Amino acid sequence: MESFKHFIDTISNPTILFTSTLIIFFFIFPINDWFDKWNRRLKLYVLWSSKSMVIASILMAAFFVIGISDPDFRSIVLKPDNVPISGLIFLVYFFTWLSMHQAYENDAKLERGEPIDEQYDAPNDKVLVWPDLVYVEFIALILCSAFLMIWSIGLPAPIEEPANPAESPNPAKAPWYFLGLQEMLVYFDPWMAGVVLPTLIIVGLIAIPYMDNEPAGSGYYSFKNRKMSIALFMFGWLVLWDMLIIVGTFLRGPNWNFFGPFEYWDIHKLEALTNINFSEYIYIKWMNTGLPKSIIFREIWGIIVVLGYFLILPPLLAKTMCKKLFARLGSFKYSFFIMLILIAITLPIKMYLRWMFNLKYIIAIPEYFFNF
Amino acid sequence: MLEKFRETQFYKSIFRGGGVPKSRRQRMMVVLNSVFLHLHPVRLPKHAVKLKFTWCMGGLSFFIFLILTISGILLMFYYRPTIEYAYTDIIDLAEQVPFGIMREIHRWGAHAMVITVWLHMFRVFMTGSYKPPREFNWAVGVILLLLTLLLSFTGYLLPWDQLAIWAITVGSNMARAAPFVGHEGPGAALLAIGDINFVTMGSDMRFALIGGRFMGEGALLRFYVLHCIGLPFIIMIFMAVHFWRIRKDGGISTPV
Amino acid sequence: MAEIISKKSATKEPGRRPPAALDKADTGDQISRRSFFSWLSIGWFAFIAATGGFFTMMLRFFFPNVLFEPVQTFRAGFPDDYTIGEVDLRWKNKYGVWIVRNNEGIYVLSTTCTHLGCTPNWLNSEQKFKCPCHGSGFFKTGINFEGPAPRPLERFKITLADNGQIIVDKTIKFQQEKGQWNDPEAFLNV
Repeated sequence: MESFKHFIDTISNPTILFTSTLIIFFFIFPINDWFDKWNRRLKLYVLWSSKSMVIASILMAAFFVIGISDPDFRSIVLKPDNVPISGLIFLVYFFTWLSMHQAYENDAKLERGEPIDEQYDAPNDKVLVWPDLVYVEFIALILCSAFLMIWSIGLPAPIEEPANPAESPNPAKAPWYFLGLQEMLVYFDPWMAGVVLPTLIIVGLIAIPYMDNEPAGSGYYSFKNRKMSIALFMFGWLVLWDMLIIVGTFLRGPNWNFFGPFEYWDIHKLEALTNINFSEYIYIKWMNTGLPKSIIFREIWGIIVVLGYFLILPPLLAKTMCKKLFARLGSFKYSFFIMLILIAITLPIKMYLRWMFNLKYIIAIPEYFFNF
Repeated sequence: MLEKFRETQFYKSIFRGGGVPKSRRQRMMVVLNSVFLHLHPVRLPKHAVKLKFTWCMGGLSFFIFLILTISGILLMFYYRPTIEYAYTDIIDLAEQVPFGIMREIHRWGAHAMVITVWLHMFRVFMTGSYKPPREFNWAVGVILLLLTLLLSFTGYLLPWDQLAIWAITVGSNMARAAPFVGHEGPGAALLAIGDINFVTMGSDMRFALIGGRFMGEGALLRFYVLHCIGLPFIIMIFMAVHFWRIRKDGGISTPV
Repeated sequence: MAEIISKKSATKEPGRRPPAALDKADTGDQISRRSFFSWLSIGWFAFIAATGGFFTMMLRFFFPNVLFEPVQTFRAGFPDDYTIGEVDLRWKNKYGVWIVRNNEGIYVLSTTCTHLGCTPNWLNSEQKFKCPCHGSGFFKTGINFEGPAPRPLERFKITLADNGQIIVDKTIKFQQEKGQWNDPEAFLNV
């Protein structure tokens, strides 16, 4: 048991956890034909069978049941405000399974030339709202109310000490649905993580129908013809949003250090986290000169790197990997799309740079509150 | 007895048509004649009533919103948004008020609504229902998601406990760093004439949010008003558009 | 009526100005197409200006002229009350400052983390300020060295009163990255 916990704590190290997730992810949700080929060869699609769902649910439930015997894990899971997160883990898994299960089912049916469930022959196949829909809704509402009642009676809403502006709790966590944002704040300056990135998330979500505007594939679960859009959405939703929430809940402890889920939250855990900016890497570590006085000379390398990333990569990708995409979207939509993707990818890039090299900012101009 | 009651002028004046709706026509009239039910169309594709397809998450989001509205109004009868009373009023809500689970319903309901809205959005994505002609309604839905999160966030401050104040401190300091409109954001220093800065601690976006330079009375009151009136008002307008557009864009999405 | 007439005549002869309308404008009892549009643009301009003005007013509404905030200046006792080499926590709760004395003198550090405004904790064993919210760390001097904080902690104005007491003025702050820590008021030589 102890060795199991130790194993979990070890793989909860952010670098290991994130790298393995990244590698596995695109095989499970193949983004293009190459990944899809491997998905089929490795038979990864069995994950979406009913049997896998039962097994996975039992495993997850077992993990929680066993885990709860551990005092450190218990204190996280049973914190009232964390209860929705445990629920969320199961719900997100279940509904991901449910949608993918139906998507593969529909794809197979269409391949065989059979009609899918959602196929309908208007107007003959229509049903009446009263009573067919109304009673479904009625039952759903009653179940929902009952569930909420039981939850409310069983679990008192948390209230902590009265507000004290002089004493931050340790750790001080945002509401759980913003833990993804809080995690981003560790790697980005507040103007990026707090303002620009959330705005871009909203803009990006709104832009989805304008980027992926082929009417085919609407109105039923499917995967085969929508590989890229589903894989990208899943990456944003499952990895960059939900997983960061879980990391923020289970792995972040006092002083915002990383802890394994079964590790004791030691306030005095020492971690070497001395951060270095890109300019300091270049001038002090590599060139062995001091930092230049002029801001422009100091930051020119970082600016070159960032500009290169955002200006050279898009045309390069359009010529190579994203040729088909470029042809389909046209230059305006393509630039917009690729910019959003590139900005989203800066998050994992900056996470790795921080974890592996303690690199803080690529461009650091604190004089003008401009850090990137 | 009930049958007789259904025949009275009184009953018929409320429920047009009278009697139990048995025929196809009567059942259609039930929906058409009710201000509440005619949110729905009269007839639907058959997969629209299958839980396996819809997950019912959109409907539940709306229902939980109604629960939150009612429980929220009830809470307002006891809660005073001042630093002196806010915390003790919350304690009293649990200890001195009969059926003291109203705050629990409100809080857990808020959590539940965030989850149902996410899952609703997830379902809409997975069925490709955002595709033309439903692009605009998807955009409205994204705004609704944002408003849901903002409502949850503004409500977080109101108990005025440690959790509340530090979540809001962090949140509002993001506004401090907003480009150009926050006094510690990039570009704010450019908005100046000579030595006079236009964007300072006393005139930036964070100030407008928390009504002062420091977290205090002003912040509590502003978040209270936003939470109880401002944001619900906006979200209801967007919800109306959202529901209206579902019908106008052709109802629930179907395969082409 | 005027615009209807002029529009009608315009549609009859597309591309050419109707002479009838011009004549009537000259006599003054009819508005020409051109003057109608200039009136229209003035109207729209006035409408936009009024709406804009109204929204500016609404925005300005959120910035009151008088604030009721705690006093920002306080007396912090005598320099000898502070031990050399220690971070003094006595004013942290009340005024949000740490007073630090080193061999040369005394300086006042703000307890507001420069990242997102939480209050860091002074960890004596590790000789650093550590912010619980996002893990920023600061040396005793206030210089940031770990975590996401973009710049050092701010220092406040510190002076001596006539009777030898320390006066801390929190309305005036000094930022290291702007080179303000060398200001004589940012540091009290003892």
